[in-house]
Formats: sequence, structure tokens, C-alpha cells
Amino acid sequence: MTVYVAPELKPPEPPPEARQLGAWVWLRKNLFNTWYNGVLTVVLAVGIVWGARGAFAFLLSPDRLWGVIPPNATNYAVDVYPRPELTRIWVTLAVVMVLVGLSSATWRPTGKTSWGTILAVVRATGVAAFAVGLLVPPTFVGRNPLLVGGAVLVLLGAVGIRAAGPAAREERLPMLGVLAGVLVLALVVIWLLPVAKTTKVPWTIEVLVLAAAHLVGRPLVRAVGEKTLKVVLSFLWVLSLPVIYLHLERKPVIPWEVVVSWLPWVLPVLVVGYLAILYASRAGRERAAALNALLVVAALAVWFVPSPMVVRLLMLVLVGFTLAAPTFASSGNGRRNFMVGWSGATFFLVYFVTLAVAETGLETQGDFLGGLNLTFLLALGGMLLSFPIGIMMALGRTSTMPIFRLLSTGYIEIVRGVPLITVLFFADKVVPRFLPPGLDFDGVVKAIIAIALFSGAYLAENVRGGLQSIPKGQYEAARALGMTTAQMTMLITLPQALRAVIPAIVGQVISLFKDTSLVAIIGLADFFRVARDIVPNQPASLGSQIENLVMAAVVYWIFTFSFSRASLRLERKLGVGTR
Amino acid sequence: MADNGKRDIIICEDVKKWFGDFQALRGISTRVYEQEVVVIIGPSGSGKSTWIRCINRLEVHQEGRIIVDGIELTSDVRNIEQIRSEVGMVFQQFNLFPHLTVMQNITLAQTWVRKRTKAEAEEKAMALLERVGIPEQAHKFPGQLSGGQQQRVAIARSLAMDPKIMLFDEPTSALDPEMIKEVLDVMKELAQSGMTMLVVTHEMGFAREVADRVIFMDQGQIVEEGTPEHFFTNPQHDRTKLFLSQIL
Amino acid sequence: MTQSRIDATQTRPPLWRNVTFLKWATQIGVLVGLVVLAWILISTALRNLEAQGLSLDWDFLTDPVGIRLGEGIFTQPASGLEAFATAIVNMLRVTASGIIAATILGVLVGISRLSSNWLLSRSATAFVETIRNIPLLIQIVFWFFLMTLFFPTLEVDASGPAPGWLIVSRKGVSIPWLFPTEVFWQWFVFVAGGAWAARRVYRRRIELLEETGRETHPGRWALGTFVLIAGLGWFAHPIAGALGWLFALVAAVIAAIPDFAFQLLFAAVSIWLGARWIRRFLDSRRTPAGLARLTDDDYFRMGLAGVLGLAGAAVFVAIPQITSLITDVAHFVFAFLDQKFDFLRTGVPLRLGRPEVVVPGRFPQIGDTGMTMTPNFFGLWVGVTLYTAAFIAEIVRGGILAVPKGQTEAGMALGLKRSQVLRMIILPQAFRIILPPMGNQYLNLAKNTSLGIAIAYAELVQVGQTLFNQTGDTIQVFLIWMAFYLTVSLVLSSIVNWYNRRVKLVER
Repeated sequence: MTVYVAPELKPPEPPPEARQLGAWVWLRKNLFNTWYNGVLTVVLAVGIVWGARGAFAFLLSPDRLWGVIPPNATNYAVDVYPRPELTRIWVTLAVVMVLVGLSSATWRPTGKTSWGTILAVVRATGVAAFAVGLLVPPTFVGRNPLLVGGAVLVLLGAVGIRAAGPAAREERLPMLGVLAGVLVLALVVIWLLPVAKTTKVPWTIEVLVLAAAHLVGRPLVRAVGEKTLKVVLSFLWVLSLPVIYLHLERKPVIPWEVVVSWLPWVLPVLVVGYLAILYASRAGRERAAALNALLVVAALAVWFVPSPMVVRLLMLVLVGFTLAAPTFASSGNGRRNFMVGWSGATFFLVYFVTLAVAETGLETQGDFLGGLNLTFLLALGGMLLSFPIGIMMALGRTSTMPIFRLLSTGYIEIVRGVPLITVLFFADKVVPRFLPPGLDFDGVVKAIIAIALFSGAYLAENVRGGLQSIPKGQYEAARALGMTTAQMTMLITLPQALRAVIPAIVGQVISLFKDTSLVAIIGLADFFRVARDIVPNQPASLGSQIENLVMAAVVYWIFTFSFSRASLRLERKLGVGTR
Repeated sequence: MADNGKRDIIICEDVKKWFGDFQALRGISTRVYEQEVVVIIGPSGSGKSTWIRCINRLEVHQEGRIIVDGIELTSDVRNIEQIRSEVGMVFQQFNLFPHLTVMQNITLAQTWVRKRTKAEAEEKAMALLERVGIPEQAHKFPGQLSGGQQQRVAIARSLAMDPKIMLFDEPTSALDPEMIKEVLDVMKELAQSGMTMLVVTHEMGFAREVADRVIFMDQGQIVEEGTPEHFFTNPQHDRTKLFLSQIL
Repeated sequence: MTQSRIDATQTRPPLWRNVTFLKWATQIGVLVGLVVLAWILISTALRNLEAQGLSLDWDFLTDPVGIRLGEGIFTQPASGLEAFATAIVNMLRVTASGIIAATILGVLVGISRLSSNWLLSRSATAFVETIRNIPLLIQIVFWFFLMTLFFPTLEVDASGPAPGWLIVSRKGVSIPWLFPTEVFWQWFVFVAGGAWAARRVYRRRIELLEETGRETHPGRWALGTFVLIAGLGWFAHPIAGALGWLFALVAAVIAAIPDFAFQLLFAAVSIWLGARWIRRFLDSRRTPAGLARLTDDDYFRMGLAGVLGLAGAAVFVAIPQITSLITDVAHFVFAFLDQKFDFLRTGVPLRLGRPEVVVPGRFPQIGDTGMTMTPNFFGLWVGVTLYTAAFIAEIVRGGILAVPKGQTEAGMALGLKRSQVLRMIILPQAFRIILPPMGNQYLNLAKNTSLGIAIAYAELVQVGQTLFNQTGDTIQVFLIWMAFYLTVSLVLSSIVNWYNRRVKLVER
């Protein structure tokens, strides 16, 4: 047997594929690798060309009434919202922009991309535009711009990639910067095109607000600290919805005399709250439990004696605080946080109930909310409200307490077993039957609650999946450290469970966004209903159903598709979702 | 012809392979003669598995030549199928088909590739299960067996095709210590029966006892090869010495 | 260990520190709170209804209603019950045809997404991404408008591509169809028997193939058997008419037995089911060493099963209407079957109907001689089919990708061809992964048919809304909706669960 010993180790060589693949090698490899694939390719290509030509001929025929879309832009956005008050909507949007800007500075999305990717997108857009140019009917006016523009983009992309060479593949461009670039580009475009001043000026301001918030956010993070800012921003996001709805999108006429009449009730409750929290966090477990039992009875009793609604709600909130106090507020720091929290809760509850009982000063016929504005309000509200419901139900269903388990399981299965439209009808038509006469909620509020109740059941199943995916060792470790069930849930298992199911939750949010279109059936004027009924029934745009529907489909598609792409990035970044 | 007069059954000439920019094989040249038992050792990421997976074309090499039993591995479909039915392979993760019983796992390829009747295939399967020592498990599903039993079924499944060559890709790495022996015993018996075997393993005892030749690989190339005595008493290359000192 | 320490651990804790007591006190407290809340709400509702001159009765099911439905078995229903029956049949039509079409399309698209052909996989991706990201409601309305606005207008002398055989118009698409005649069910006995026999033959031929290794053409044999028996039945079906006597006998027996006997029987079954559940539960807790220690949770479960069993019995005894409803339905079914069978009743089981245009008033309409797809059905069916197909495609793709790569490698290493690996190793495993989410999609499709209300397709929600707009009985209609959709969910998910258990991989 001969013995072989290598003289020295060979260095690695570059791969043979470094030589560029020719276009026609690509074609052979991907389209004509076997005879049946070749046949398939030809048949498909013919079919696609035929279908696309037909579709474009239909969509771009002179009979189509595409002209009705631009003049109705404001209707799609806000429906009948009184035009003189539109500033309110812009302020609303600015509030959201500030939050987005601050959040982007605080959470700092770290995604990076490369010039090569961007140029490839440019090139692909060019190819697509050119192909569309070839397929549209020759009479279409946009045909030549499409062909020329497409060719220019293809050239730009190809030359860029060639010029950048291997450096194009380095991922160094921050996604955030690219996004900013796209926004600036969009601004330039709307200033170049003949867009109405009432549109382009506010939009420019909104983008500037966004940029300013982001720039302010950076030093703010350094000054306040990242963790604090994250907590504060999360609270602001949750609060933004009622603030926007109650304060900005209506014109509240606040009944001050009513508010003042509450004060003799609210102030004592506030003080009692301080004392109760202090006692519950200091006294032993049993004494705290006794106090809690007393408070629960009191909180229920105020519903049966005449007292302002705000006090009844405040008592319920107080019970929540005192129940949690022995577990989470036993240290000095926790106690301080609870005191601050109770003060804040009292303030915001009084604030919101005040606004909720206020009449709107907007002068419109019927509901003043509509259009895309309403669609987003429903989606945001449904999402925010569905989280507490979903988490509570998931905890109930995985709990060791059989009655809670039975109730949560029943809720989840019943809601998941029926279509959303029946839940909407339930909120719209059945619930009022169970309420005292005169007490009825606004249609929008009812729709938000219905959507949240529905989505919450699905969310609960996602969260339950997360809870069940947590290794048993985590529970055992938490128990071994002496944590109570509440501490274990809030500090160990629930955060992990939520993190594990982020992709599923994002999927649920996307489907919730699409599902908001169902409110059109119970008569709310959301974006879909404006496009389906309201605009095509105007005398000036009769017979434009298909045009409006296609436009609506494109708008929904853009939003949903971007959400799902963003969630895909998030999923890859977190490295979860591969369960 | 090898120097002992036996026919060369595997010939590799300057085999190279890349994954993207990473070069996994930097030119492997060696010959394996009939009935030889070759054990391949080396640190992880050294290209051992990639190389033996190239031999039945589970990975496609990009440069160099591989000739198995006189047939060159090219993109010719007929060659690939012929070689795969002559070369058995045992995987680290067993890769039994979980939806089929043990018996069906062993008879499936016999009926569809070797075109045997069900009776013949079952007879063969039972004989092989006897040989690997678990005839009583024939009608269970893989999920009901222990790791060692699963791996023995996997060996029986490969042997049922009457292969001329058997490739073992770390067959004991996923097993509990007490199950390693039962698999190694089956492999030793197989080696003594005159099967040509290429074994990637970390079991040095097996190498010392059974191997005709040991190959040490690092950085995608063969660093040193020789008899087990040579290796375990007198290694030459610095990297070999370092590796052996770390694991022995 | 000292004596005093042992004593200390053995003292019972005071009630307010006892975990079990606190746990149950909390739960019962919450439950009582909920019951009180429900009681308040219900009494409010009763007062509200009284004030509006409404009641919680079910008279609207039997009273005449003045509504018209777009299509279905009763387009001018005489009662609410008939209206709901029509709605349910319409809903099930869309669901069944939608499930079949969406499955075929979804599987094709899902496999296409994994194709090595770039054009095919990209087209499939484009399909999925387009359909998935547009609200279903928009799609349904789009297809509906596409037909009602852009299809050719209906002409009396419809020439079209195939005059007399196909009508394509704004008022619908009509094709020739084979309609069952009054002897159809007699023939159907033979068809079902033929299918059963074909299955037996198929299995036998497969066994033969495995034993001898010779080609035995199981598929052809099975088809031949089926065609032979069904063909024979075409002429011999009057014999099957004898079954009518059997059905008549069963119907008579049901009518003869007094209702209280059934009441007692159902009550007994209810108690028996509860008892069986408890017995099985105890069996599952039995270890070789004897009965395992039961927790309070276990006692609760058994108690609940017992209470539910007794409550069911009490309901059957206390409310005779439920029992009479069940026996009435059973009697109706058998009496109905009796009508469909008559010994030596002859005739052709199927009759060909061709589409035609009729002019009942001033405008031409599609006659009911062919099989007609209305624009409402078209919009809903195409909408839910494409939408569900896109989701099924993703499930199929995910299922195939979820089979470990080692499985393909092991198959290839054994010398199996790529197609054989796909057919015998990958697909059977992928199928098991795909099944549960696929069942969910079927459920979603069934629930999504409720969007037919947006284009006035006469399904359950649309008919329900029409009814409560007329009578104001929203609570009752909502209960009917809930009962129906929950039943559909329950039936579909039990089928999927049953099948899933059957094909589940055996693990240790």
C-alpha cells in the first residue's frame, strides 16, 4: 500500500461560473431544458401575450371612463367629510407621520440593500414597461412613452450594473435611505406633474414632518434612552387611535358643565386609588386579596347605583391596578410606576369619556367618516383592539382553570366558525336590541368592535400556537426561580410566544385590512363602497363601475403587497416563522 | 489496475466543486479498487461528504472526471440512473420514508427500479432484515424504531438493490452511544463479506479495525492517505498530526 | 427530620390560602358575573322587543313571506323555512363546486410555482400575488359586473358560437345538461353499487399484480366493472324500485311509534353518551398501577360531561317539539325516498335538456331547459374559487417544500426516477402536511360564500337579511346563521380530522 502525502495545501480557485452566463444560455437552462418544457414555454408565452393584449385592449379602450377617477380623488380619500374641515385630516396624518418618524429613529430598521438590487429593479421595471408598451393597442396615447421610457430604464439599469462591476453586489445602502430617496423622487414627480396645489402642498408638508420627526428622533433617543422611548412610543401609538378619532376627525363640542359635575366623584376615586395601590403593594398577599375582593364588589356595585359612567369605568381600571399590584408593584420602582400609571389612566379616561359624550360640530348629513380614511381607521382600530382580546383568549384557552378554558375555547371556535359578515350584522343589528333604549354606538365604533372581536379569535389561535411552541423548560425555569403564574406569563412566556408568531400576526393584520371592505355591506362608506356605489352613481360618472373597481383593486393591492413584502423582510431578519 | 491486481471501481481525477464562491473540492484524485474499504476522516467542512455525494451525483461536480464501474458521470440521465442503482448510500439522518413501513421502505425501489415481483422483493427484504438483526420490526413504521434500528433498516434498504459499492455518510453521527455499536457491527460484517465501501466517519476504532485505506481530507483536498497502521502510528503531514492529536 | 416539621407540612392551609379554593372561587365568581350580565342583557332585549311590538318566536319560519329570491329551488318561497332551504341549497352549490374547482386549480398552480420552467413558475407566482392581495369582495363584484355589463346582450334568435347548445349573455351562461328524471334514484342505486364493486375489483387486481408481478390493468378492470354495472342498471333499474317498499315500511314505523317513546330514547342516548365519555376518560387515566390521581380539573371535566348528558335528557323530555322535529324530518326523508322508488316503474334515468331563450314578457330570458349559470352565481363562484385557489397553491407549495431534502436524496440514491420520487415519496408526505391547512381553506371558502350578499346571490346571509328587514326578527335570523355555519364548520372539520387521523404518520 502506497502512502500519499500532499506536498502542500492548494489555495482555493475562483468558481468557473465567474464567467458571465449569456442570455441564451439562461434561456436554454430555464425555458427550454427539456422538450416538454420548450412546448410549455411556447404555449404559455402565446397564451400570456394573447391574454395581456385582450386585457389591455379592454382596459385602454376609448369606451373606458378613466377620466372620472382623478376628479374624485378627494371622495376616495374621505368621502363626504366637510371640505372646509379637511385640515383636520391633514393634521391627523401629520400626527401619524410624527409617530412613524420617531419610531423609525427609535427602532432603526437595519435592512441594507445594494446598488445592484436597485439597478436590477430599475431594469426589470424598464423591461415590464417596454413589454406593456408592445402589448397595448396601437391607438393608446401612452404607448410611445412606455416604449421609450422602458428602453431608457433598461439601458440605465444595464449600464449602471456594468459600470458598478462587482461593487454593485455589496449590501451597504441602508433601506431607510433608499426609502427616503423614493419619497423625495415621488415629491419631485408630483411637483412636475399638473397636480392640484391643494394636494401637493399638504403632501410635501407631511413628508417634511416625517423627515423632521425622524431627524429629531435621533438626538432624542440619545437624550432619553432607547428603552424609555420605546415604551413611550408604544403607548402613544395605542393612544393615537382614540385621540385621532375622538379629537381630530370630529369637531368635539365639549359639555364643560357635565365634565365639572364629574369632579366631586372623580377626585375621591383618584385618592382612594392611590391608597389602595399603596396598601395592596405593601400588605401581605392575603390582605391584598381581601382588599381586592372588596374593590371588585364596589366596582360592580357602582353599576347598580346611579353614578356617572366615568366613575364606573374608573373603578374597573382601579381593580385591574390593585389586582396586579401585589405581584408587580412590590418594589419601590414598580410602586412609583403604578402610581404614575393610575394617574395617567384617570386622566386619559376622563379625557376620552369627555370627548366621547361630546357632540360633533361638523356640519354634514349622516356619517362624516368615509373613504380610505375610514378604511385605515377601521384597520388600525380593529388591530389595536384585537390584541388584548386575542391575548386574553389565548391565555384563557391554555389556562389550567377549566371554566376559563371552556369560555375562551367556546368564544374562539364560535367566532372562527362564522363569517365576518354575520359578526358585523350582529354588531349592527342584534347588539342594539340588548342595550337600553337610547344607548347606541356610532356605526364606525360598532364596526371596529366587530372587526376586533372577529380578528381577536384568529389572533388567539396564533398566540396559542406561540405559547405551545415554548419549550417546557422555560416554564420550569420560571417556576424554579419562584415566579408566580402572572409573573411567568407576563415576563417569560408571553413575550417569547408573541415574538415567535410575529409572521402569523402580520398575516392576520393583512387579512384584517382586506376584510375592512366588508363594512360596505352594513352601509359604512369605506373606500370600497365609495368606489363601488358612491362614485359610479354620480350623474357625471355613471357606468364607470369597472373602472372604479379596478382602481380600488390596485390601491388595495399596493398596500397589501407592500405589507406582505415588509413582513417577509421582518421574518427573515427575525429568523422565525420556520416552525 | 491497482497494485494488488484488483480492478479499479471508482476513479476520481482532479474533481472540483464550488458552492457559489466557496470552493468545496479543490481537486480530488484517487482510485478505489474492488472490495476495498476506504475510511475518510477530516475536520468538519473539509469536503468529505461533498466528495462522496458527488460519487452518486447527489452533488454535481463542475470540473474533473468521476468514473464509477467503467461509467463516467456526466449529465447523461441514463448513466446517472445506472450508477445510482449500483451505488448504495447510507445517510447521517437515515432518511427512511416515514409514510411507509420498514418492509415497504426496502421493497419500494426493488419493485420500481429492479422490477422484482412483490414476493421476491419481500423475500430479499426479510433476508436482509435477518442479516442486520431486526426481522421482527418488518411491519412497523420508521417512527416507531430507535435510531440504531432505523440506520440498520437504511443499510438493508440500500443492500436490497445489490449494489457494488456502498457509500456511508457519517452513519453513526446522529446516534446515541449505545446504538453506535449495533450499526458498526453490521458495517464490519458487510466489509468482511467483500463489499466495496467508502465510509465518512469519526469512529477511529472502526477505521483501525476494518479499513484497507484511510484518507485524511482538509480544505477540500486529500492531505494524506495510507494504511490504518501508517495513520495511527506514523502520520506524516502536520495537519494530519494535529487532527489526530485532537480527536484521539 | 423532626416530628414538628412533618406536622407543619401536614396542616391544611386556611381556605383563603388554599390554591384550589382560590382558583375555583375566581372562576365561579367570573361565571356568576357573566350570567348576571347575560340576564341583564336578555331582560333588556325582551323589554325592547315588547316596546317595538316584536317577539322572540319562530312564526316567521312558517308564516307566508312576500319575498322573491334570485334563483334556487323556491324562487317564490311560501314561508321563511322554504326561503332558508333555498338559501342553504344555493350556498352548498357554490361551496361544493368552488371546493372542487379551487382544489384542482390550486394544486396545479402550487406545483407550477415549483416548476423548473421560469415562465411557468413566474406566471403562477404572479397569479398568487395578484389574487391574494386584493380583497375578495372586490373580486366578486368585479366578476359580477364583468358578466352583467360586458357579456353580449341576450337576443331571441341567439345564434352565438353553437346555436341551441350554448348561450353566453349578460343574463347568464346556459349549457346543455343531463337532468335526472323520476326514475333517476332507482338507477343511482346501481351507480353507487357499481362504484363500490369497482373499488373492490381495483384492490383485487392490485393484489394480483403484487403477487405475480404481471401487469393486471387494475384501472381498466375497475372502469369496466363500473361501466358494466351502471350500464346494466340503465335498463334493469325498475328492479331497484322494490326498495320503495322498504322505505315505506320505515316511514310507517316511525309514524306508528308515539313521540314520547322517541323522547325517552333520545334522553337515554344523551345520558348514555355522557356516561360513555366519563367511562372513556377514566379508562384513559388508568395506569397499570391503578387509577391515576385525578385533579380538580379532571373532576370538572367529568362533572361537565355528566351535567351535559343530563341536561340534554332534560331538554328532550321537557321540550317535545325538538323530538317531534327530528322524527318529522326522518319521516319526511323516508316518505320522500318512497316516492322516488316504485317497483317496475320504467323510464330513462337521465334526460338531455338544451338551453333556450324564452320571452315571457317584453324582454327575452334564458329558459329553464338548460343548466344556467346566473351572473350572481358566476361572480361569487369565480371569486371564491380563484381566491381560495391562490391560498391552496401556497399551501401545496409549502407542503412540498416542507418534506426534508434527505427524502429526495434517499430516493435518488436508490435509483428511483425524479418522477417516481415525486409520486411515491414526496407527494404522499406533502399530502399529510397539506391536509389540515387545506381543510381550513375549505372552511374559509364556505364562509366566504356569505359575501354573495354584495351581488344579491340568494345565499343564507342575503336571504336572512331580506327576511329580517321585513319582519324585524334579527335575533332569530342571527341564531339560524350561527347554527348553520357552525354545523358546516363542524362537519367539514370532523371530516378533515377523521381523514387526518387515518393518514397520520406513525410515531413512537
